[in-house]
Amino acid sequence: MTKPIIEVKDLAKNFGKNQVLKDITEQVTPGQVIVVIGPSGSGKSTFLRCLNLLETPTSGEVDFAGENLTTLDTKRVNELREQMGMVFQSFNLFPNMTVLENIKLAPMKVKHMDDATATKRAHELLKQVNLDDHADAFPASLSGGQAQRVAIARSLAMDPKVMLFDEPTSALDPEMVGEVLSVMQQLAEQGMTMVVVTHEMGFAKSVADRVWFMADGFIQENSTPDDFFSNPQTERAQDFLSKILM
Amino acid sequence: MKKRLVLFFALLLALVTGFTTLTTTANAATDNSLTKIEKKGTLVMGTSPDYPPYEFQATVHGKTKIVGMDVAVGQKIAKDMGVKLVVKSMSFDSLLVALQTGKVDMVISGMNPTPARRKNVAFTHTYYQGGYSIVINKSDKGIYKNKDSFVGKTIGAQTGSTMYNESKKQTSGTTVKGMTSVSDLILALQSHKIQGVAMEKPSAQAYVANNKELAAIPSDFNLSASDTSASVAFAKGSTALVNKANKSVDQIKKQNLVNKTYLPAAGKYLKTNTVNTSMFHYWKAFLTGIEYTLIITVCSVFFGFILGVLLSLARMARGGVLKTALRWLATAYVEFIRGTPMMVQVMFVYFGLGLIVNLPALTSGIIAISLNSGAYVAEYIRGGINSVDNGQTEAARSLGMSSGATLRYVVLPQALKNIWPSLGNEFITLIKDSSIVSIIGVSELIFQSNIVRSDTYRGVAPIAVIMVLYFILTFTASRILNYFERRMQHD
Repeated sequence: MTKPIIEVKDLAKNFGKNQVLKDITEQVTPGQVIVVIGPSGSGKSTFLRCLNLLETPTSGEVDFAGENLTTLDTKRVNELREQMGMVFQSFNLFPNMTVLENIKLAPMKVKHMDDATATKRAHELLKQVNLDDHADAFPASLSGGQAQRVAIARSLAMDPKVMLFDEPTSALDPEMVGEVLSVMQQLAEQGMTMVVVTHEMGFAKSVADRVWFMADGFIQENSTPDDFFSNPQTERAQDFLSKILM
Repeated sequence: MKKRLVLFFALLLALVTGFTTLTTTANAATDNSLTKIEKKGTLVMGTSPDYPPYEFQATVHGKTKIVGMDVAVGQKIAKDMGVKLVVKSMSFDSLLVALQTGKVDMVISGMNPTPARRKNVAFTHTYYQGGYSIVINKSDKGIYKNKDSFVGKTIGAQTGSTMYNESKKQTSGTTVKGMTSVSDLILALQSHKIQGVAMEKPSAQAYVANNKELAAIPSDFNLSASDTSASVAFAKGSTALVNKANKSVDQIKKQNLVNKTYLPAAGKYLKTNTVNTSMFHYWKAFLTGIEYTLIITVCSVFFGFILGVLLSLARMARGGVLKTALRWLATAYVEFIRGTPMMVQVMFVYFGLGLIVNLPALTSGIIAISLNSGAYVAEYIRGGINSVDNGQTEAARSLGMSSGATLRYVVLPQALKNIWPSLGNEFITLIKDSSIVSIIGVSELIFQSNIVRSDTYRGVAPIAVIMVLYFILTFTASRILNYFERRMQHD
């Protein structure tokens, strides 16, 4: 069996007295596409943000490529974060920069890539997400779907080993969901390791290798999409599936 | 909370005591005073050049310089010591403080060696024996005869001067109004806000000679010799220096140099000075004013901004003991600066800090205003940083950028855009507030306009000129700022 790239052991996270993550132990192997689903407020986003230490776990450990992030110094954490791209629900593009500058910023400032190389790479990525004609636009002039595709290209510019998606389509108008999901599907087909928090059950069914069902601070089920959607084991999952329109 | 307050005041007390001790030691340990000057090769004379014919500014070959009989006295003393004379101008009130804090080596400014002043500084023998006159409007000539004619009226005198104190003591039923500059007093007289101005006889004669609407009457003050005579002041304890200067002063008196040479020479300058009192004639003085106002403003904005960024970051530091201490310190600094007048801060930096390092007035002014501006800018920046969506930071950090790089490349540029109007306001406020440093003698616009006023005996015109100049400066600045604000708009 291949070595896991992400390994989570006994992860717990409290916000004050509120226990959001209780005890999570899971693994992600390279090339896997994990889709995390579950009811709102079940801690999916918090879990994802613990993976790249945007949230500091209260206890337990998060290993990335064999290194325990919770024990590393800030410098090393920054280095490992480069290898974990993250796409946010609200895009979080830098509004004061053009699309091209958004993509070039981190490669130039963190990897010290020269301008010409970074520009060339940015154009390649923009082609990949079908937005090369918007290179000089400012984020405010983009539609939600376009903005999210730029955000994906921006993350890819750091050549990450893993991509984390935090509800990437939740803030989009329905007609724009498709363009973003198809870019994500393409990525999966290219062999990118992905952890996706989403409510898009269709995406989970067709793209995911594993579905993690999360509720009440635990991962309740870890199974293939087929098993999960046709034969959920826990009562919590059955309840959840019965409430969503498929 | 109470504990914090106690701690704060304890610190403040320690600071003040520290400075007081420093002052005393500085005064006690100087009787190599003469050798020090000889080694330095220069003798710095402090004076308040708005008191013709004692001292005033004149345009000589297109250059403004300080002239008058006191300057001649200073030159004689310096020459006899074999050193070069450097003349430094500041307000009369600041002169003795400047002497005590070592900003100047001696003060010659028509100063009377009163017993009160003797407690703080050392005086030479007197070099001139004058008397007081009261300047009145010529139209009032029949009404007022001497100091006792002003019952129920107001007379003016220069604040901090002997005339001011004596006018208060020796009149009854008369209001005494103090102003910093004699030209303001003359203006007040001409606009009938006051009915007379008490000043030294030679000054009174100079004003009357140059302004046909004025007249001088005797004061009839009952005065001791020390109240009417002028002496040179040195720092307390510099006996060797005083003894040396006394030799020069004695010579001046013996040869009657003041009346025979110095006063006539000063009179000539006064004439050349008042030939052309048009404001255009003084464009160079105003230009210097603009130059210094801009230097002070631009430097203070620059350093104030850097300080503001550092302070705002310190105020947002969270974490260990060190960061907490830093945050406390920054907060205390901002509160303290915002809770004290800028004028006091300027004086504290110039005179207080001057005890440790001798800073020129311009540098002191820039430091004080930067320190002040930094506190305000820090609050703007803190607000600006808080206004940037946290998602921006998260996006940058998720790309592997360090917290420093995130701040520099992502958060600060956006914060700056948000606070640009406030920063612009601060810049324009500083253009105006820089006028405060005129009190320590920096030749910015206000200071220059005062000089022009006392040179030309015209009270209103210079004020109107600098009003227009200030407006041109601030209006241009606000146009430029607007241009950059528009360029930063992307959404």
